[in-house]
Amino acid sequence: MAERRKYKKRYCKYCEAKVDFMDYKDVGALRFSLSERYKIMPRRLTGNCKRHQDMIATVIKRARAAALVPYTVTRTTVVTAPFENLR
Amino acid sequence: MRNYENLVIVKPTLTAEEIQANINAIEEVITSNGGEIAARDAMGMRKLAYPLAKNERGYFHVIYYSVDPSAISEIERRFRINEELLRFVTIKYDTNREVTAWNQLVQKAIKKATQPAGEAKVEEEVVIPAAFEKDEEE
Repeated sequence: MAERRKYKKRYCKYCEAKVDFMDYKDVGALRFSLSERYKIMPRRLTGNCKRHQDMIATVIKRARAAALVPYTVTRTTVVTAPFENLR
Repeated sequence: MRNYENLVIVKPTLTAEEIQANINAIEEVITSNGGEIAARDAMGMRKLAYPLAKNERGYFHVIYYSVDPSAISEIERRFRINEELLRFVTIKYDTNREVTAWNQLVQKAIKKATQPAGEAKVEEEVVIPAAFEKDEEE
């Protein structure tokens, strides 16, 4: 098992930054909890606490509805420059 | 009265005047239903994350307003009729925490609107704490 421990001990980075509210329009801040294929990263990898994971999940889903973040990235719809909208 | 936020995406094929006229019409829908617009934030022309009605780009506009909750269904019905509107997202700000966040967003939008365009870009700081850098592989 010791071999499998690839990740270091996790803690909630949102708790550390004392995030109370997340804005779905701020795509750059969502980046942390999104995988390369724009999937929502699981809690076991990011170390987010339950409360913040629930918050980020709703916010990402809102951003998807607003066409700020893609739902899926396939071979044909691959994003050449991710977050190029970021200002 | 409850606080809301609406993000609307207008078709990119229109000219600048037509887009402005459309946004005025959208705001008119809100005010005619008893809404009070607190702030508006023009995000401008952006690339869409996925095509909407075969459009790759869209004009984003955000409106912060407060209105009676019963009027929302009528506002959304009117939005659906508008053919130039690609997408709209209505967000409700209900709890105390959300209301304070709404006030902050309104302040930010007003500040951005009053500042000249070039300056606003420099002032706008993306708050990403240093801890947020990806460190998956250790």
